[in-house]
Amino acid sequence: MSTLLTVISVNDGKIKRSSLEVLSRCNELAADNGLKSAALVIDANASDIAEKLKEYGPDTIYTIENPIFKNHLNTPVLKALSTALDHIQPQLVAFPSTESSKDVLGALAANKEAAALSDMSEFELTENGVKGKRPVMASKIISAVEATGSPVIISVRSGSYDAVEKSSDASIEAIDFNFNDDELRITLKEIISSSSDRVDLSEAEAVVAAGRGVKDEEGRNMISELASILNAGIGASRALTEAGDYDPSLQIGQTGKVVSPQLYIGVAISGAIQHVAGMANSKVIVAINKDPDAPIFDIADYGLVGDLYKILPPFIEELKKIKQN
Amino acid sequence: MDEKFDCIIVGAGVAGLAAAMTLAKNNMKFLLIEKGEFPGSKNVSGGVLWGSDLNKLVPNYWEEEDAGWDRFINHRRLTFMDEQSSFSVDFKSSHFNEAPYNGVVVLRSKFDKWLAGKVEKAIAESDYAMDSFVAPNILVEEVLEEDGKVVGIRTGEDKFYADSVILAEGVNNLLTRQVGLQDKYVPADHMLTGVKEIIRFDQDVLENRFQLNGRSGMSNEFVGHATNGVEGGGFLYTNKDTVSIGLVLGLKDLREKEQTPYDILNHFKKHPAVADMIRGGEVVEYSAHVVSSGDKRVMPEKLYKAGLTVCGEAANLLMNAGKAIQGMDYAMRSGILAAEAITKAKEKGDFGESAMKAYQDTLEDSYVMKDINNFQDAVHLLHDPFMVDKMPNLICDFGRNFFSIKNEPTKKARNMFSDSVKKHASYWDLVKIGAKGAKAL
Amino acid sequence: MKFYVCIKQVPDVYAPLQIKDGQLIQDADRNVLNAYDASAVEEALVLTEQHGGEVEVVLAGPEKAKETLRKALAMGAHKGTHIVTNGDEEFDSSAYAKILAKFFSDKEYDFISCGKQSQDTDAGLAGSMMAELLDLPYATNAVDLKFSDGTLTVKRQGDAGQEIIDVPSPGLVTCSNDMNDPRIPSLKGIMQSKRKPVDTISLDDLGADISSDEVKTKVLGFEEKPEREAGKKYEGEPDEIAREVAQLLDTEENVI
Repeated sequence: MSTLLTVISVNDGKIKRSSLEVLSRCNELAADNGLKSAALVIDANASDIAEKLKEYGPDTIYTIENPIFKNHLNTPVLKALSTALDHIQPQLVAFPSTESSKDVLGALAANKEAAALSDMSEFELTENGVKGKRPVMASKIISAVEATGSPVIISVRSGSYDAVEKSSDASIEAIDFNFNDDELRITLKEIISSSSDRVDLSEAEAVVAAGRGVKDEEGRNMISELASILNAGIGASRALTEAGDYDPSLQIGQTGKVVSPQLYIGVAISGAIQHVAGMANSKVIVAINKDPDAPIFDIADYGLVGDLYKILPPFIEELKKIKQN
Repeated sequence: MDEKFDCIIVGAGVAGLAAAMTLAKNNMKFLLIEKGEFPGSKNVSGGVLWGSDLNKLVPNYWEEEDAGWDRFINHRRLTFMDEQSSFSVDFKSSHFNEAPYNGVVVLRSKFDKWLAGKVEKAIAESDYAMDSFVAPNILVEEVLEEDGKVVGIRTGEDKFYADSVILAEGVNNLLTRQVGLQDKYVPADHMLTGVKEIIRFDQDVLENRFQLNGRSGMSNEFVGHATNGVEGGGFLYTNKDTVSIGLVLGLKDLREKEQTPYDILNHFKKHPAVADMIRGGEVVEYSAHVVSSGDKRVMPEKLYKAGLTVCGEAANLLMNAGKAIQGMDYAMRSGILAAEAITKAKEKGDFGESAMKAYQDTLEDSYVMKDINNFQDAVHLLHDPFMVDKMPNLICDFGRNFFSIKNEPTKKARNMFSDSVKKHASYWDLVKIGAKGAKAL
Repeated sequence: MKFYVCIKQVPDVYAPLQIKDGQLIQDADRNVLNAYDASAVEEALVLTEQHGGEVEVVLAGPEKAKETLRKALAMGAHKGTHIVTNGDEEFDSSAYAKILAKFFSDKEYDFISCGKQSQDTDAGLAGSMMAELLDLPYATNAVDLKFSDGTLTVKRQGDAGQEIIDVPSPGLVTCSNDMNDPRIPSLKGIMQSKRKPVDTISLDDLGADISSDEVKTKVLGFEEKPEREAGKKYEGEPDEIAREVAQLLDTEENVI
């Protein structure tokens, strides 16, 4: 029986929600089509992670465990994926769309001479492959695409599907894997990480985004306070990351992070296409902007027109009260 | 690079492109500089390119499958409006169906880009294929002069030298002012602002609505309530699958009456006659542009100096005399004439004052200046408040009466007319206007 | 140092476009150099200006894409190669990767770079596919490049933060447009570009004639992005609207 394989993304020992979304979708497709759904964990602590995956319903969980995977690097990851695919022989390999998966998707596809579709917003199985939809042209339009052959390799945009818990009696199978340091072709020298206690933006259930109107320390403090009450990740527009007010890894947008939280609050965000491409999948959008004609109001569920310096303090107060009750 | 050009053209609008094409065909070495990302990106016209000069630049242009023009005009309409009515003089003739056409309607970003492509081709076929250039995205900051003669231009820190410079920089003619041919501050009195929208339809809907056949098109000019009391007029042209609709409005009058162009445009679009024409369309673009009215009082007297000529809107060559708005054709002709003067100058090896004066002489001799000179009164007449207000009201009032059939005895037309006159103006007004009109038109 | 930069001509994503019967229609024939590739060209120029060397650009595309090649030359690239395609083939990322890999198979170079994705498809696959086909060490999504002693030090925007990676030569790197602001060609650059050598070759010449059966992914059509409906606008006293919306987020949306 053929397998739909989801490659799980792990960050700092935690399973990224976007992988669970993909896994849930694959579980669904497998059930509908009489196929197997499997998950693959490539990590320094893969066996621990594997245990947690049982709550999300795959039939089998494959692991490749090796200290080399403590940090992402394409060479060993590619070798691991290649080994896993040879072993599992899936008809579909699905990744969540992350910087790490983007780093290896093309190379893997070329290595296996497999068709590849990246950044899908929807996907389903066809007789001889996969079809679905993906945004193109700076996310202005949707293109309908299909890929044929086996395996087909895809990546899926976060927020495209829901992560559904489904307890299973999954078996865990470790795959043999060796890697010598001299197989490394590139060298990872250092990682300049964004603060580890900050919420991972692309995983966050709530996001507060700061735009150009947040122009000083006082503004940024309010953003932090709002985020902390809501347990939200903090993101920023390109203007602010370029100005150095926020770390570039916090840029939300077409070429930055794509977020799909339950609650998104854009403070002084105008709603330029490039930014919207990174947050349009948010469930509830709240916008605070001085300009009543700002394009963000065309997509906001709740649009507050006014000065953020006057709106945020009472807003924060009210949220504090609600949280306390 | 120590190369010297025969000519540097500043601005790749219609005038600049026409000059460039002519120079290329005459095997001259030139540089065409455009500040926009591509020729046409910063240009706005209504707009119809009247006349047959396009055929001079691109012979048999109509035979090309995807040429840069949208439709040829074989249907013209002049509409007088009051608040609820419109009275039109409508002329359509298959006489206008033959190429080269009387006029073609264009969209600037498409047209200029296409024409620039033709210029590149002409360069490639000329003697200076490797040494003539079209350079977009470059801003000319200064015209260089030495000993009273123009010797080149400066962009950023770089200087480029030429025997002659053609200024085709458009209505914001900063360089023309820099070399002293126009005053530093031009009063708003005789300047207009043009505003327009491009409205999209399904091509069959458009062709049905405006009764178009193949590539035929319609131009409609409007006088009266179109501009809500502000001096100026309206226009509507049919493009391939869109309609250009807009207004030209007197800047000074706008200011004095405290209205905004956008409000007046919305008002215009809502007029019953206009609304019926554009129903169901989707606005896809909005643009605005300052234009001169054709009043000679704003035009620089001298359009040349040693080593330099001024063409197109930089020389305020545009006229709205009521019947049509003519800008692109003037620009084209002036560009051609400037290039010809420079070609002759090269043959004689003399780019001095008198050689450049030859350009203005030929321009004065051409239909461009002859018309501008002849129709000054028409231009003034068009901006007479009577034309914006009373006259259209009078005509529409007359029309309402004339075209109503009631179950009552019908008045004679001349009585209806005199009723309308009395209601909206006076016989004396009419006589005055009539005299002005007779002289001007 | 020899740098090859792969560039692509794409439709201008800022030009008006419409979708009719599932087909994409551009209003005007507006095509530009892919913004991500422009950053790659810019960075290659900066590095060769600092360390000496040559930048050569390679473009696989139809005849009309030649003007984009000229633009890269006007920016300062030294030479160009135009691999001419028909324009109506339905090439996907892997087809382009194969064509370019064929081109590079007999070339010598220090590094190949390209944009991390192209603005028409946003697929982001061709770069790493090429690296695999050419068996090159590679890094993607570079936001900064430094060079010394035959090694490219790449600052890569990763999931955990910024990864500093050494890529030896010969190697490949794909570039983010966050890397730099590509220079606008100067007048001198435009003038010099005409004289720079451009090799024009066909797919046949390369032996890279890819038939449409070999192309494994296809675009079936285009559709408008589903409109997200605007919700409600709150205008008024900041105090009042702030409190009102905060309450609604709790009671109506249950997101607090």
